[in-house]
Amino acid sequence: MTLNRTTKIAAVVAFLAVVFIAVPVAISLSGRFDLYYTLTSVALLSIASAGVWLTFYIGRINIGQGAYALTGGYVSAILVMNHGWSFWLTLPVAGLFCAAASVLIGLPILRLRGVYFAMVTLVLTEVARLLALALPITNGAKGIVSIPLPGALSVFGITLIPDFATLQNSRLAFYLLAATLMVVCFAVMYRLVNSRIGKLCQSLQQNEELASSIGVNIAYLRVIAYAVSSFFGGVSGAIFAAISQSIYPSSFTVTDSVNFMLNCFLGGLGYVFGPMLGTLVLYFGWDLLFQTGQFQLLIYSGLMIVLMLVLPNGLLSLAEMTRKKG
Amino acid sequence: MEQVIANGLYLGAQYALIALGLTLIFALMNVLNFAHGQMYVLGGFITYTVYGQLGLPFVVALLASGVTLAVIGALMEKFLFRTVIRRSHREESTMLLAAATAFFFDAVILLIFGEKQRGVPKIVKGVFNDAGIIMPYDRLVVGVLAIIFIAAFVLYMQYSRVGRAMRALAQDRVAAQLMGVRVDRYSMIGFAMGAMLAGVVGGLLVTITGVNSGIGGPISIKAFLMVMIGGAGVVGGAIAGGFILGMMESVGLTVLREYGDVTYLVIFAALMVFLSVRPNGLMGKPWG
Amino acid sequence: MAEMLEVSGLTKRFGGLVAVNNVSFSVREKEILSVIGPNGAGKSTLFKLISSFLRPTTGEVRLKGERISGLAPHIAARRGVVRTFQETTIFKNMSVRDNVIIAHHLRSKASLFGFFLGTGAAKADEAAFGASADEVLALLGLSSLANETARNLPHGHLRALGIAIGLATNPSILLLDEPFAGMNHDETMRMVEMVRRLRELGLTILLVEHDMPAVMKISDRLVVLNFGQKIAEGTPSEIQANDKVIEAYLGSEDEAIGL
Repeated sequence: MTLNRTTKIAAVVAFLAVVFIAVPVAISLSGRFDLYYTLTSVALLSIASAGVWLTFYIGRINIGQGAYALTGGYVSAILVMNHGWSFWLTLPVAGLFCAAASVLIGLPILRLRGVYFAMVTLVLTEVARLLALALPITNGAKGIVSIPLPGALSVFGITLIPDFATLQNSRLAFYLLAATLMVVCFAVMYRLVNSRIGKLCQSLQQNEELASSIGVNIAYLRVIAYAVSSFFGGVSGAIFAAISQSIYPSSFTVTDSVNFMLNCFLGGLGYVFGPMLGTLVLYFGWDLLFQTGQFQLLIYSGLMIVLMLVLPNGLLSLAEMTRKKG
Repeated sequence: MEQVIANGLYLGAQYALIALGLTLIFALMNVLNFAHGQMYVLGGFITYTVYGQLGLPFVVALLASGVTLAVIGALMEKFLFRTVIRRSHREESTMLLAAATAFFFDAVILLIFGEKQRGVPKIVKGVFNDAGIIMPYDRLVVGVLAIIFIAAFVLYMQYSRVGRAMRALAQDRVAAQLMGVRVDRYSMIGFAMGAMLAGVVGGLLVTITGVNSGIGGPISIKAFLMVMIGGAGVVGGAIAGGFILGMMESVGLTVLREYGDVTYLVIFAALMVFLSVRPNGLMGKPWG
Repeated sequence: MAEMLEVSGLTKRFGGLVAVNNVSFSVREKEILSVIGPNGAGKSTLFKLISSFLRPTTGEVRLKGERISGLAPHIAARRGVVRTFQETTIFKNMSVRDNVIIAHHLRSKASLFGFFLGTGAAKADEAAFGASADEVLALLGLSSLANETARNLPHGHLRALGIAIGLATNPSILLLDEPFAGMNHDETMRMVEMVRRLRELGLTILLVEHDMPAVMKISDRLVVLNFGQKIAEGTPSEIQANDKVIEAYLGSEDEAIGL
């Protein structure tokens, strides 16, 4: 979008104000504290979806983010429970572990294209679940429960973040954590997309051979993108484990992987903020439809179908369409 | 040993039918039918209703399953996929649509048929017990029927006018158009046939393993696995993939029984290695 | 003049089919060498072998004495062998200018991480590439179209863009894949001029082509392939007089070999 710089900055400031000020204020005024959990979920899910969006950006259909979310959750849980680590330390470690795993997995599979890649990633989620069931360290079907709330984060004796157990309203704390990470994640994505790397990825997406012929190391670039994508998935999963204070093999299933992908599609694959919008709409949509009881899934999927027919290029494509008319 | 092979063959035949339907839709339209497993489930429930509830002959029930799914498939192609394919910038948009239809099917099936596991009375009683193989007769019948259907399908695709048109379309859309093949029409027929195959297998297997509303997703995944192994978009690949998966499951369930869920883990690990060597499956059509 | 590219004993087999059979020749520095031959002679396979998009079954390709055959395509590109594509291949959703800028990637010194952080090296690259891209666009007459989306370009300009992309990489040798294909007379003449200008810049050019008059006009030397084998090599006048070449093209009009 060709907005000028001041408009962009204003939009960012407004957005941050809404997220960090308006929302908490509105919630405490209305007393709807349950909304904290909803919005925290949206923020975390949008981080995972952003990862999937990045994979789309290099031209691959990733339906396996659930596997990394699950892995991240387990890594954090195990480190906290079995080794007494501070949650805050496990967060980047979970992400890095997933990134490393994704490099190993990505090396053989990133060569696959289209449906083949998609199908392999779909199976990946299921495999992660099976591994969680089978490995002794993950405690099988019983999962890992009673995970303590995140402890304090102190650097050089200065407490940056208080122990969550001491907080009156840990939900607000989690919300702020999730929202902050979401903002950071999308800032990173925005920078990525608008830098040379973004152009390189686009070249990959549009014409792999030509990209190769101008010296782009396509294998390398793909693996990096996939690793970053999985990092986001892992971090997202780790925080989820902390919030629900438990993690099970079924915490992230194939359905979740598919949902991450759907969030990207709905927002619009061509737009960096697509996953954020898509996650918001789909999550709230699903939640709101809870009222309809047994018809929830029916209406939800029905609306999705209608949306696809009307806006096959995602919600944000509306912005382009109105611009063309105006 | 023979038991394992016999089970593998029986499973393989069913799976091959499922994979054929999926691969046909993919070959014609580059669409991965996420709802394939749900179509199977629907076929199973229809047969359950017609044969199990209404007491009509099994053949009638099977026909009902097939026809209903064919109609549904045709409608899906005409009103949903055709529009999205035409209007979207990226080929992958059809995936969102396919996923949405899968959810929709799940919802409808749940509403109409409920959550409970359903089964039907055996179509043939008795057990075949000879040469070290124990196979209930109904499995035998279903297996043979599946093989007959596979053969019929292959012959149809090879020799009939419709089949030839569809193959031309699968190979090269533009060239087929130039030759006068009506792309829209055959896409619709292809989708209908693919759906029909899924429905028929559902109808066949409800007599053996029953059906419940939750197995749609896992079946879709299995179908994807088969197509990955054998290669997407190619008839031979689907059949090979189906039989290979059937065999692997049979072997895995027997041999790896003590290790529990490891079967699929092993299959997946093997698949990853396999795909590194042959990215398009055994004989698949390369994407793009 | 030194030898820029050396092809020795290059052979490529696809199963039972031998597409390129023991082909050897060299391309001298600042030379324009064209590879011609009837349809199916193996020209495009040869092309892909030289640019390292295919691995040779036997034989090798050397650039300035160093072996490049068998390297990954992007590495061969970095060494200096850059090709254009037959079906005018460009990055269709990017602007013309962006297409050329991104092609400079080959020359960039900053790392990926550097780009992300916007380090000094990255910024310097960006500035330099922008300027260089503008120069290349001017050279190929595309300046006025700099901000157009690439896929909207008319055919002749798409070709020029393809060449611009190749040029931006600052290659040691530029491989042009049928640059004259599908062009009318005027377009062909303009392309001939463009290729001459490229040589004046000091570029070595290897071309694969069908269009005879153009090739005869522009090439310093020619290599003729038929059925995967080299049947002749020489200057345009030598080739036009060569019996084997005439025989290979038998059945095509005299015009086809530029007589």
